Amino acid sequence: MADARIVVKAAGKRFGSHQVFRNVGLAVGSREVVAIIGPSGCGKTTLLRAIDGLLPLTEGEVTIEGTPVAGPREGVAMVFQHFGLFPWKTVYQNVAYGLKLAGASAAVIAEKVPRFIELVGLTGFEHHYPYQISGGMQQRCGLARALAIEPRVLLMDEPFGAVDAQTREILQFELLRIWDMKPTTMVFVTHSIDEAVLMGDRIVVLKGRPASVHEVIAVDLARPRTRATLAEPRFVELRERVWGTLMAEARKAEFDVTQ
Amino acid sequence: MSDAQAIPAPGARRAGAAWRAPPLALKVVAGVALLALWEAIVRAFAPTYVARPSGIALVLFKVLADAQFRAAAGATLWAVAQGLGISLVAGTAVGFLMGRVAAVERGLRYYVFSLFATPMVAILPLVTLWFGYNADARLAVVVFASFFSIAINASDGARSVPPEYLEVARSFRARPLATLYDVVFPASLPYLFAGVRLAAGRALVGAVVAEFFISIPGLGYYILFNSRTFKHNEAFVAVIVLVAAGVGFEVLVRRLAQRYLPWARRA
Repeated sequence: MADARIVVKAAGKRFGSHQVFRNVGLAVGSREVVAIIGPSGCGKTTLLRAIDGLLPLTEGEVTIEGTPVAGPREGVAMVFQHFGLFPWKTVYQNVAYGLKLAGASAAVIAEKVPRFIELVGLTGFEHHYPYQISGGMQQRCGLARALAIEPRVLLMDEPFGAVDAQTREILQFELLRIWDMKPTTMVFVTHSIDEAVLMGDRIVVLKGRPASVHEVIAVDLARPRTRATLAEPRFVELRERVWGTLMAEARKAEFDVTQ
Repeated sequence: MSDAQAIPAPGARRAGAAWRAPPLALKVVAGVALLALWEAIVRAFAPTYVARPSGIALVLFKVLADAQFRAAAGATLWAVAQGLGISLVAGTAVGFLMGRVAAVERGLRYYVFSLFATPMVAILPLVTLWFGYNADARLAVVVFASFFSIAINASDGARSVPPEYLEVARSFRARPLATLYDVVFPASLPYLFAGVRLAAGRALVGAVVAEFFISIPGLGYYILFNSRTFKHNEAFVAVIVLVAAGVGFEVLVRRLAQRYLPWARRA
């Protein structure tokens, strides 16, 4: 891909003698959303951490904007499944955290933080602590914290995996709305097939032990995607296709376990 | 905001906790009964100089107004405050180093725990040899009594910072010093508060015991002197002041925790 912002080349990761994945190749365009899906333990999250520079790869390399990733870098932000909000900081202070570390001035922080709190729909909760708001609101806060540094690369690590089903759906459409306003490079790790189809321009299916890229499925659903997208025949078709790919593996895995 | 559901601020929760504390009337009744029992037993069986509630009540205000008593109370409490301050700063620093640097932890762990378990009374004679029979020796005992519980709690706190928080800090490119200030320190605060509460009690004991042994002006010495001169009621006023200081500090720390760490009980 000519305008690829993230390139993963022959990536492999081993923990001790356990090879999690190997020979993973991936390119993500500057205005593209790539969803990564795969069975538990296939290394989706590990791969995402490597892209963020939180973990070194054992083989291959990740480059972002042409330079190899050696550690967390400017312009890349991650949203965590565990939210990762600091309980001793208010919503406002949590959203300001990334900006503060990026060296933003007080004036910039005072301008941006309320703007991003509004963007995720948390206005009125600025001075609440995380324990005082619901899980869905906590992740809105986590999202605002990542967006506030106006990243060129957004890494989503099963961001809605810890919230209930209804909230999850609401947050998916909120995220789509926000992304449509300012499309950027996004890698979205999920174990939900619906979510992968709804979010992704392409879906990368990781499979096998050790895992590698089994299939890349292009999602040709028009944007902006809304609730109506879920009812499109093409959505259902794509979902079935991903399901079929994954389930063959899942059955085998279950069979392995029962042996 | 259909997923928006705010939980009320911490203050609003107090009503639910009320039933656990006995009602005020019960506390007063129990207190009066205990005092009456004390009074009755002393009157029936003990010599007149033995402290009893009515005797203490009679001398209470005279003693509290006495310049010498005030100086003694000031000296003891000031030594405790100074010692706690020193232990808090030094103990937090050493504890954080132990909590975040594995080599420091491995090197110091057994010594810190051994010294924590050492009865401070046992080292008193040595302290007087090192510092002389003066206020410095008392301060040293107070620091010795309080330092290790703060260091141990600080290291426990620093070690048990949830890795998710550290991961977030790394992802947002926090420098180690910023992470110490933004993440490790606040995450350790509940442990530090627990350490300070424990340390305050030990510091008070340390100051009083040091005064018993060293015979320098202070509440401990005041108690000793008045006991030996059969002024038990006066001695008991000093005991009350010490108890009040201990309880007062406990309440203060708890209030501070409620005010500044409302998240700590739920995190």
